[in-house]
Amino acid sequence: MAKRRAIVKIKPKKYAEGDIVKVSFMVQHPMETGMAKDKESGEIKPAHYIEDITFSFEGEPFTKMKVWESISADPFFSVQYKVEKKGKITVDYIDNLGEKNSKSKKVKPKQVQTEKA
Amino acid sequence: MERRNFIKSIMATSAAVVTVPTMVFAENNKTAENNETKVEVKKVTVKGPNDLPYEDAVKAIVGDKELKDSDKVKLTVPEIAENGAVVPVKVAVESPMTEKEHVKSIHILNTKNANSRCADIMLTTKNAEAKFASRVKLSESQDVVAIVAFSDGTFMKAGKSVKVTIGGCG
Repeated sequence: MAKRRAIVKIKPKKYAEGDIVKVSFMVQHPMETGMAKDKESGEIKPAHYIEDITFSFEGEPFTKMKVWESISADPFFSVQYKVEKKGKITVDYIDNLGEKNSKSKKVKPKQVQTEKA
Repeated sequence: MERRNFIKSIMATSAAVVTVPTMVFAENNKTAENNETKVEVKKVTVKGPNDLPYEDAVKAIVGDKELKDSDKVKLTVPEIAENGAVVPVKVAVESPMTEKEHVKSIHILNTKNANSRCADIMLTTKNAEAKFASRVKLSESQDVVAIVAFSDGTFMKAGKSVKVTIGGCG
């Protein structure tokens, strides 16, 4: 299986503790519906799509998603998250063929008052 | 009496003249309809792995409870999508997201795809804002519906229609 590139993004780039940020997750995935035909061979392509996605902070899940094949190829999801402390946001996903993967991003809140000039 | 008979005969013939062509037209229409339905049946023969019509999907989520349209749920979808394979969908729900009162889950559905479910998002209080964005496939022009389940057991809904110029499901 080809490696799937995935990104976890946090926006805005600079944030302090207590701020609400947007956490978005993108993957390279074909998301085949199991209904489309191959253009060259004319055979129906087997279904291949992501089923479960979990957003977690330091092992504690804060958002779970169930996804079906009606989501576009190379899917993108975004949710809000309130930053409380330093740590790591991890996103795990499983597809219907049992392919598991995860991607994480460090959370580094900056306190505006203690920042040195 | 002659006059009466004459009028009667005219009436009869005119009636016949009017009805006969309509009958012919009706038959033509019937045959045309039959042809169309045959073509549709051929299209539907390809089945997805977990097909579910829209009404059944709504029942599975809501059950017997009421489902109301609400201003609290804001769904942003393009009116016309040039490419049905990539339709951006955004949902924002007005909610304080505290322990007492928060959004439990957001369900994104469509009305005419083979599988009407797109995504279920289970939120917690740590999200602080009930917002979600993603991209969806639509096979034809149809409605996109967001059903929101609140922590007190009520359900709200918002729907918008999308015109699709090129279908996105093969």
